[in-house]
Amino acid sequence: MKINIEETLDQLYEIEGVEACMLYRIDGVPITIRVPEYREHLLETMFWLEKHIRRVLGEMNREGLRETIFFFRNNRILIAPSSKSTVLVTIAEAQANQQLISLETMRATKNVEACVA
Amino acid sequence: MKKGRIFTGIYGLDDLMDGGFREKTINLIYGGPGVGKTTFALQYSLFGLERGEKVLYVSFEMSEEQIIRDSSDIGWGAIKKYIDNGDLKIIHIFGEDLSFPSLDITEMIKKSIPGSNPRIVIDPFTYPTFYSDNEKRKSLSTIFQDLRTIGTTLVVLEEPADGAQGSNSSNPGDIQRPTGTSSMPLYLSDTVLFLQNLGFGEMYDRTIRIMKHRGSKHGEGMYPFSIETGLGLVLRTTRKQIERVTPKTKYDDRFIDALKKVRSMGKQGENLAARIEAVRKNWVRDEDPQQILDLVIEEEIRGYENKH
Repeated sequence: MKINIEETLDQLYEIEGVEACMLYRIDGVPITIRVPEYREHLLETMFWLEKHIRRVLGEMNREGLRETIFFFRNNRILIAPSSKSTVLVTIAEAQANQQLISLETMRATKNVEACVA
Repeated sequence: MKKGRIFTGIYGLDDLMDGGFREKTINLIYGGPGVGKTTFALQYSLFGLERGEKVLYVSFEMSEEQIIRDSSDIGWGAIKKYIDNGDLKIIHIFGEDLSFPSLDITEMIKKSIPGSNPRIVIDPFTYPTFYSDNEKRKSLSTIFQDLRTIGTTLVVLEEPADGAQGSNSSNPGDIQRPTGTSSMPLYLSDTVLFLQNLGFGEMYDRTIRIMKHRGSKHGEGMYPFSIETGLGLVLRTTRKQIERVTPKTKYDDRFIDALKKVRSMGKQGENLAARIEAVRKNWVRDEDPQQILDLVIEEEIRGYENKH
């Protein structure tokens, strides 16, 4: 069953250890986000993402990567293109189940693609 | 309908704009070629015409025949009927033909007004004949000020093309913010809507953002839209997105407590109570306002104590 973008992000956000998840357009403009109450480190990461997401996507495209992971402080940031014009980002705690989060993020990218393409 | 509001006629947009444009204001539609600016302008016009309003359409590019043909192609052939019965007046003029725009445009509009409080469209806004840079702001400000006295105006402004002078970004998809004098309309207008099309053919390629909407609460997201033949621009906003700009009452108890506290401060608390009441009526967020209320009250009390 096709689920919409909002539900897709809700489901991803509910996974234990996921601190935030956001869907960006490839030019770095946030489409929809799931974040907890104000946390400075998340805000810094989001500013960084908005500024650098296009460059990261360019590199991923050149290298043929389906996902890229950055480590910032105690966070693991997973960047996965979800369609030609969107990219899904999951910010997880370092001690969270990374394999599960990777799998669920990839599954979510397929849902997003089905919605926007 | 909220008092003093003019429906934009764009499906799904008014809910995000506190009910539409404010009456007698300047509302700017900004975007690159092919994003739907003229369709927006025609849709805004047609919406008013169908409800008995008068429209004045000043076109610096398209002739009346072109406007009729383009409208018919999108399924709005009725526009011809409104021209014939005088509800819609189209003025086609080249910017170069204006000697002193601040006088010419408004004089021309005043002479051609088809009725009181009309919808006015200027598509696209160009200023090729202004005298000097120094005079541009004054001229533009004068035009806008005069237009505000006449009706509710929609001004279409073209985004500078990639790499064009005035753009401060080389990244496609970025808001190509005009610089210097070309950015003036954005500052001087009451509402700025930014239309974008990335060109991948996906849902979030064609989007609208409300960059500014004076005196109103408005959606701050990026809203996808499509252009449908017969309908025009249709926003694909979700119920959740509309809820985000709808005032919430679930924290009313917090506001009531704060108001009690403020009113107990005596006369100096009256003004603050009015402001807190305004916050309560416009609280659209899901988050608890307690922290903000505590901070405001604490600072106001401190300021009052310092004075005495």
